[in-house]
Amino acid sequence: MLGRITYMELRTGWKGLLIFGILILVISAGIVQIFPFYRDSLTEQLEGANKVNLTLPNEQGGNITLSWEPLVNATGYMVLEDTRVSMVTAKIAYLGEETSITFEKDFEEKRYYAVMAVINETSDPVLIGIATTAKGEDPFKTLLENPAYASFTGGRSVSMLESKGFITFEFFGLWWVYVGLFIAYLSVSIIASDFENKRMDIMLSTPISRRRYLLEKFGAMSVIALLMILVAIAGLTGGLASINALNEISVATLSLSLISCLPFLMVIVAIGMLTAVLFQKVRTGMGVTFAFVFTEFFLYTFGGFSKSLEWMKTISIFKYWDYSSVIIDNLFKPGDFIILTILATLLVAIDVWLFEKKDVPA
Amino acid sequence: MNKAPVIETKNLTKMYGNHVGVKDLNLTVYKDEIMGFLGPNGAGKTTTIRTCLAFIAKTAGKITILGLDSHKDAVAIRKKTGYLPGDFGLIPSVKVRSYLRYLLSLRECDSMKKMVSLAERLELELDRKTNELSKGNKLKVGIVQTLMADQELIIMDEPSGLDPLAQQEFYHILREEKKQGKTIFISSHNLAEVESVCDRVAIIRKGQLVVVEDINLLREKTGKVLEVEFSDPVNIAELKLEGVSEIHQDNGRFILTIHENLDGVIGAVSNHRILNMTLKTFSLEQLFLKYYAEAENQKRGSA
Repeated sequence: MLGRITYMELRTGWKGLLIFGILILVISAGIVQIFPFYRDSLTEQLEGANKVNLTLPNEQGGNITLSWEPLVNATGYMVLEDTRVSMVTAKIAYLGEETSITFEKDFEEKRYYAVMAVINETSDPVLIGIATTAKGEDPFKTLLENPAYASFTGGRSVSMLESKGFITFEFFGLWWVYVGLFIAYLSVSIIASDFENKRMDIMLSTPISRRRYLLEKFGAMSVIALLMILVAIAGLTGGLASINALNEISVATLSLSLISCLPFLMVIVAIGMLTAVLFQKVRTGMGVTFAFVFTEFFLYTFGGFSKSLEWMKTISIFKYWDYSSVIIDNLFKPGDFIILTILATLLVAIDVWLFEKKDVPA
Repeated sequence: MNKAPVIETKNLTKMYGNHVGVKDLNLTVYKDEIMGFLGPNGAGKTTTIRTCLAFIAKTAGKITILGLDSHKDAVAIRKKTGYLPGDFGLIPSVKVRSYLRYLLSLRECDSMKKMVSLAERLELELDRKTNELSKGNKLKVGIVQTLMADQELIIMDEPSGLDPLAQQEFYHILREEKKQGKTIFISSHNLAEVESVCDRVAIIRKGQLVVVEDINLLREKTGKVLEVEFSDPVNIAELKLEGVSEIHQDNGRFILTIHENLDGVIGAVSNHRILNMTLKTFSLEQLFLKYYAEAENQKRGSA
């Protein structure tokens, strides 16, 4: 898998890789530097905040009382009301300086209330808490099970006041965007540009089989993906060490959560190579590969909307790279790792089979 | 010819949907010869070469190269074959030397001696970067990579575009390669190029082979061309002499194709006052057009 073609690929592309590597290093180390400021700001804003209490009437048609502890810096409060915990269709139910409100329960269905503190005119309101009229339901748990959040944390309760939660949301939640898409782009162009720039003829006039050509290119992509992962591990570790937070999340946990994404990236590489072999054009291949990555993400997200749509999750590669399981639960899932490895292997086998069948145009 | 065949196609057909790439092509290239493969753009030269080298799949027929099946044994064939594509790109931003060394390593060839020697002869600077090369120098890189690993068979698809000095050196190199026992198959639409180096020529037209002929025999068969211009009006019938196969008149100039009785024809022409006269051997350009015209006429006749 690694040979002279791999070496040449890395040799000719080292400048681009160096630039992207530096970018990954800056992002991974830089994001962690933001955390203490974010945590302090949030803590300060939430000082004095207490869980929102909601008292339901004993009988039908009585009054609901919603109360919360005053926030030191608050100039006022806003209460949003919605039938969904996501509050995407919320209406303002209250706006004022009181910390307790009472209103008539003139509805049957369950409702959610989000209490926000207004700190000043320039900053956004801060969430104090969420309450629901549904008996025995933890609205935060319901919120975290919302597909929009679940896609980042796998439905786990994560605190943004902890470095684990912050890194999960701000770094891992977006890792697939910057590294996944970079890898997708490279895996297409590493082959399709040989077609477009008419380098394939001379390459394949040497005693190199098409299989070896593809496997060595795959090898080059594996090395690149691994290098990006190692750079990210170094960046996060350095960042966490600089803010004295390595006791909250170990280097081993960070490494395992990132290395477990290697087969995830390899599936993207195999798809990129597939589109390169099929279309033999960088732009078309890249468009299709990007569409694949985004479709997979949306399948995973939509799969969480209802039980009947869960099959969508199953066919999404995002389901099989559960970084938050490693970071939050300290649980590495070897089964997922193996599933993605098998999928990548199968896809590469298809790439080779197709390439051996396809004509190489002049 | 008793020599062993190096390239042999039997009823080779390649279709692109309904469009004919090549059809029922039977062509044999023998060991130690330089064979020219002539045809205009779109005649099927590149398709034939690319099918032989398994870049594209054949629709029907059989191709044997160096005694091996062109598609099943493609890698084994490429170990013994050097190929210069008609249009090719180089890996950018590397020195020519590194690029050629890389290709040598893919061919598992350690010796750089021939590569350096070829580069010197063609005046190719090995320490320049590939993306800084002119079109001609890029072609030189292509020629060097084709010949540097001493393969038994050399296939070149339209290697034209060198400056005249480099072109002459290139022909010398090809003749030397032939002397060393190499077989060379060279496609072109630059007929003068083929004429100066080839032993035999195959002419292809619309995917079908028109003729395969020894280059000297071809010239003999087609004769010489006499172009003559008279100061006085001359009746064309007077020039219909023994040994003259064709006469054309063009703005007072007569163009005679002569197979035999050259002295008789010259004598008859000298009876008139001559303003201008040239005697030429048929160029391959004219041969080419002649064969096309004949094929076209045969087609019309049979229709």
